[in-house]
Amino acid sequence: MNRTFLALVTKEIIAFFRSWGLVAVVLYSFTLDIYIAGKGIEIQAKNVSVGYVDRTAGALSGKILARLHAPEFKTPVRFPSRKALYNAIRNRKIMVGLIFDTDFSREFYRGGPARIDLLLDAITASQSFQALNYLQNIVLDFSRTQVHVKLKIHKLFNQNARTSWFMSLAELLSITTLLGVILTAAVFVREKENGTWDIMLLMPIDPRITILAKSLSQVLILMGGIFLATGLILFGTFDLPINGSLAAFFLLSFFYAFTSAGIGLFVAAVSRSMLQVAQMAILIMMPMIFLSGAWTPIHAMHPLLQKLSLLSPLRYYIEGSESIFFRGTPWGDLWPYFAGVILLGGMLYYYGFRKIGKLF
Amino acid sequence: MNWGVVRAYMRKEILELLRSKMIIIVYILPTFIIILFGYGIRLEVTHARTLIIDHDQSKLSRDLTERFMHSRYFDARLFRGTEQEALHRIKQAKTEILLIIPQGFERRLLHGLRGEIAAFVDGAFPIRGETMSNYVKGEIFHAAQSVAPDLAPRITLDNRNLFNQAMRDEDAIVPGLFGLILLVAPAILSALLIVKEKEEGTIFNFYASPVRKSEFLLAKLTPAFLLHSLNILILFLWATWLFQVPFRGSFTLYWLASELYILISLGIGLLVSIVTRTQIVAIVLTVIITIIPGFLYSGMLMPISSMSGESVIEAHIYPVMYYNHIVYDAFLIGQGLDAPKIRLYLLILTLYAAAILALGSALMKKELR
Repeated sequence: MNRTFLALVTKEIIAFFRSWGLVAVVLYSFTLDIYIAGKGIEIQAKNVSVGYVDRTAGALSGKILARLHAPEFKTPVRFPSRKALYNAIRNRKIMVGLIFDTDFSREFYRGGPARIDLLLDAITASQSFQALNYLQNIVLDFSRTQVHVKLKIHKLFNQNARTSWFMSLAELLSITTLLGVILTAAVFVREKENGTWDIMLLMPIDPRITILAKSLSQVLILMGGIFLATGLILFGTFDLPINGSLAAFFLLSFFYAFTSAGIGLFVAAVSRSMLQVAQMAILIMMPMIFLSGAWTPIHAMHPLLQKLSLLSPLRYYIEGSESIFFRGTPWGDLWPYFAGVILLGGMLYYYGFRKIGKLF
Repeated sequence: MNWGVVRAYMRKEILELLRSKMIIIVYILPTFIIILFGYGIRLEVTHARTLIIDHDQSKLSRDLTERFMHSRYFDARLFRGTEQEALHRIKQAKTEILLIIPQGFERRLLHGLRGEIAAFVDGAFPIRGETMSNYVKGEIFHAAQSVAPDLAPRITLDNRNLFNQAMRDEDAIVPGLFGLILLVAPAILSALLIVKEKEEGTIFNFYASPVRKSEFLLAKLTPAFLLHSLNILILFLWATWLFQVPFRGSFTLYWLASELYILISLGIGLLVSIVTRTQIVAIVLTVIITIIPGFLYSGMLMPISSMSGESVIEAHIYPVMYYNHIVYDAFLIGQGLDAPKIRLYLLILTLYAAAILALGSALMKKELR
């Protein structure tokens, strides 16, 4: 029985390596795709394009504009009139427009509040909000307002607020889900489509062993991908910190890979062709990924969605991995994540297992 | 072109789409994505879970605490444990902000010395961490001002938020999703329609029959195009009705740009179907090459004007940027065809669609490889 099991696992892995298209896609997903996501998605406001109209003599406004510099701002561009500036904002060439009116410097030296008109393209709301904040700080700093309270902010776990750390990790976890479900489902449904699945079930091998071996082979492929991505991309390229235990992350990943294989089993059980697999997989995975907190922290969601997110195994995986990498949570405090992944995964796996193992 | 053949082929395609329940993916997927992302992506921060440790217990420190408790941005409460315990709660992700008001805070301030408050912010989710620390700064600055009203700043910023006055996340995100959805969904459909025949071997009917390549493509792509055209209206309704996004521009322009964009997406699917042989590879490949650029260059998370270096070039290669510029304009800005940039982008979309479809049909072979 042990030999049968091993033979089946080996067979599936060989079959995987023979379909070069699939190997290429898996390799791409675990390396370049994560790299692009980590590198490209930047939610921090940077390089904000600024335009200004200056109706003053220029000394004071020049000093303020000199404070808008990289990395937050691009070099401010001068516009002849308010209308031209407004037009540039409408064409989305400029995000922030500053207008210094004629009496700006006079008001300032008189000590009274001098007003800068600010036109803000608020379409990318969060970036606009951050740009507004930067500007407010610059203006406060410039008018040398003495605030007697000093605030010392410690940003824990990710001092420089590097989005690449978070995005690359989240992308790795989403990719694991996507491939875990589709690969596993494909292994079974391909046999179903070819009509060999019934033969497999009729063979004098316990169908449970067949199913377990087939899904284990896909879990192993996934683990290979996770190892590769962690070493090459997360640590190699993005220098992610690891404040907790790496072993805990791999163990959690292993359980999670089984969970996603369980979802794959479920999908395979209810569909008859690859086309249906694609539909089911998308219908199941999309909400799973978006309810997981990969994009938005759970408690910032709509209350109903928060409840629903408890059903997404990816939620536990992402929170757990975040805690391990960034927060450095000790083993003892990781149990909710392990419990969530194992419990949900176990249930899905069991259902798929029962459903697909039946001949009729 | 033999129209009889095209009509018959098309009829077969539509029947198959209906029978294989593929129609579900055509209409459920876009709706699904817009609802999930529309509700799912929240970049503004409200109700950040805050713990305050008040070592001072003075009137001033209580005022400050009160301020945090009444703000809609924070869910603040006093914490009576030690700092270590509070930090541990951040590690367990049960708290996001910890404020520590030291002993003698009020006394120092009254003597004209600087009082120092320590704030610990969970930065594991970077954008959120940044926003939260800005809120904390703002709140404490206002508190300090109310203690000493002579602190009025000498420069004020009078800001007008254009196009999205309330800085709603919905207005920012939902129109940006259009470029993602209409890039992914039609591409998957057209790729699958062709690769399915390849995998099942039924494509040999086409190889062996006198049906011409152009007739085959026309028959395959037209039903997909027509079915997805309805999604333009469906997405519009979700955005304006469910998410209450204003629509300030021209509907005709929006419709026209969307139809062109669907053609581009079908073309991408066609290209995928040429290089793949199995459905699974086709699906995964389509998803990978469309979702990431659909996000990156959509302009919903990061404005194109803030990009630099190679990402500017990449943004100009993918069609998403051109389409989304038009969609954002139609929803939030409302310039329409008056703006030269919009006319240019519409022209680029047209050329893009023509080029990608021409490339796809040129590369498709009507023979065994």
